[in-house]
Amino acid sequence: MKKLDRYGYAFIAPFWVVFLTFSIYPVFLTLYYSFTNYTGSPGEEIVGFANYARLLTDTYFIEAFVNTIKIWGVNFALQIGLALLLALLFSDLRLKLKGLAFFRSFFYLPNLITISSVALLFGILLDWQHGSLNMMLLKLGIISDPINWLSQPVTAQLSVSLILTWMWFGHSFIIVMAGVSGISKDFFEAAHIDGANRWQMFTFVTLPLLKPILLYIMITSLIGGLQLFDLPLLLTDGIGAPDGSLNTMVLYLYNQAFKYNNYGYAAAVAYGLFLITLVFSAVVFKGMFRKERAAQKGA
Amino acid sequence: MRKKLVSLLSIGALSVGVLGACSNDEGTSGSGSGSKDDVLKVWSFTDELKEPIKTYEERNGVKVELTIVPIADYPTKLKPALESGVGAPDVFTGEIAFLKQWVDAGYWENLSDEPYNVNEIADDYIPYVFDLGKDSEGNVRALSWQTTPGGVYYKRSLAKEVLGTDDPTEIGNMMSSMDGVFEVAEKMKEKGYKMFPDEGAIRWFSQGANPEAWVNENNELVLTEDKINYMDYAKELRDKQYTALAPEWSPSWFEGMSKPIKVKEGGTETETQVFSYVLPTWGLHSVLKDSAKDTAGDWAVTNGPSPYFWGGTWLGVYEGSKNKEAAYDFVKLMTQDEEFLTDWAEETGDVLAFKPVTDKIKDDFSDEFLGGQNNYEFFLGQADEITPGIVTKYDQQLDTLYGASVLQYVEGKKTKEEAVAEFKKQAKNAYPDIKVD
Repeated sequence: MKKLDRYGYAFIAPFWVVFLTFSIYPVFLTLYYSFTNYTGSPGEEIVGFANYARLLTDTYFIEAFVNTIKIWGVNFALQIGLALLLALLFSDLRLKLKGLAFFRSFFYLPNLITISSVALLFGILLDWQHGSLNMMLLKLGIISDPINWLSQPVTAQLSVSLILTWMWFGHSFIIVMAGVSGISKDFFEAAHIDGANRWQMFTFVTLPLLKPILLYIMITSLIGGLQLFDLPLLLTDGIGAPDGSLNTMVLYLYNQAFKYNNYGYAAAVAYGLFLITLVFSAVVFKGMFRKERAAQKGA
Repeated sequence: MRKKLVSLLSIGALSVGVLGACSNDEGTSGSGSGSKDDVLKVWSFTDELKEPIKTYEERNGVKVELTIVPIADYPTKLKPALESGVGAPDVFTGEIAFLKQWVDAGYWENLSDEPYNVNEIADDYIPYVFDLGKDSEGNVRALSWQTTPGGVYYKRSLAKEVLGTDDPTEIGNMMSSMDGVFEVAEKMKEKGYKMFPDEGAIRWFSQGANPEAWVNENNELVLTEDKINYMDYAKELRDKQYTALAPEWSPSWFEGMSKPIKVKEGGTETETQVFSYVLPTWGLHSVLKDSAKDTAGDWAVTNGPSPYFWGGTWLGVYEGSKNKEAAYDFVKLMTQDEEFLTDWAEETGDVLAFKPVTDKIKDDFSDEFLGGQNNYEFFLGQADEITPGIVTKYDQQLDTLYGASVLQYVEGKKTKEEAVAEFKKQAKNAYPDIKVD
């Protein structure tokens, strides 16, 4: 028995060695750097909480936080709305839509394209003078002058939100679909016999039973969304143009570290981001489960 | 026993799998832990050095291992190696964007010292190029074989039609001041052509006649009168419709080199041709010749209002290298070897910074693409006029930030004061150590 235990440790050792070296050590090293004025070459000095003090009053970081939440929020609302709507259509007992397998993969396809290709594609579609979108709108006579989508803060942010929705709704759809197919048919039949219409079925049967699934999607999407970085970097000039509207938290971190060489401050930004993610996730988690616990207590 | 063996083997296999996933592919067939003395390691961000390396290997019988890292990752990949000395190269190149930072970081060997004594050959180089390789104490850390001054490339046929001549000297005289540039732009517009692809084209002339460093020796941000005036020039180009609204490196920017392009302004769509592109030496070989095949021979290059340079690659010896002698031999081949550099220049058209060679070859150069013009001589003349000593480690990022602010003003989203204030705020945020008024 004892011998077997030893083998077990030997088996998990490689993972732990790699994990400690490449994950845990950098995390603590970053924490250390966040208290220094490290600029990329040795000889840093400890500066205490100076970086964190600066972070709290840094308008660019606050701007980045607001932008990130805005872009993610719009994207998430659309993404989950679309996924639910599609799941509803495909799971409807009366509609009996065909081709679920096909659509599942079809909707998921955008997620397989590398982000740089996506940025290039939309860069060309949204181009001010020669973009397909403006060409189409001009031809249809909807606009008389081309719109410079990526040079107005509002349309630039909206563009990023919509691109993200396009990329991720298929992913959410698959997960929601899995959740829906996990709900026993008995519920629907019972509701049907009780004379519930579609909307009631959705709100009283499907949604409550999907709660854990939706929570999972929301948390993962939130963590991913707070780390939004590649699209804003590639779509405009890499520093958040137009007028800082595409400056997201991780983009800001990246620029502080690798463009301006303020590694110490960037490490503090990273920890700020970590705390924000932690708080948000906790709030979402609590918000979703408080009602249930209250209901259980009341029962 | 057998169980033990099997489990050990599986652990081994697993570790290899896990660790293998973490190793990165460096794009070379490295000889791994070969003995230190017979392989010279060179790091760069382009494949430019392949030819000199071949020559070096043939001459010295030393094996050279070239590692190419894409420019986007180059500083981040190289820095850790240089800091720790683990897997560090013997020779590595630096690009203008981070050159100033690196010469002061002490990664490169001091070439002003014995046994190199490069100061003795200082006069053989274009002044600004030699100067850029110096650290803050004036010691040379890196040398360059090339000079990358810029000019204005224009289409001869349009020049003939609109200006009555396609002679580079005459057109250069017309464009020797900003006002002159705008006069030419107005004439182009009257005939339905556009002077530049976009207003960013003139950013190289934003320094004006009295260039100053972005950050002076007192660590203060310097925003010269000329740089502020550049904002108005850029806006005027946009407002007076002198540009084709094709931002640098965009598909339409490339298209404008060889074809008429469509411009939509003020509710109408017109088809127009772009007259000129502001590009440096390498713009001819790596941009124009690739993208303007249909208009080959119809181009010429001349000066703008002020001389400027754009880019450049320097190289030096790693101070922790174990084969400094061999490493410096390679640097010498690339930057001082007359025979090799003559072949190199004639093969690639690269404009060299090493005068003993350029003096010999500059007179009988001509480029078919430029209608037989001797662009070599033109560029060398421009290079000599460039003010040395005003490049700082902040330039690349400050130029980007300033460009973004200028664009806000050009597009009418901010007033000039707001744009300047925003730039100063951004500069302070990026570099807290700089004093910004």
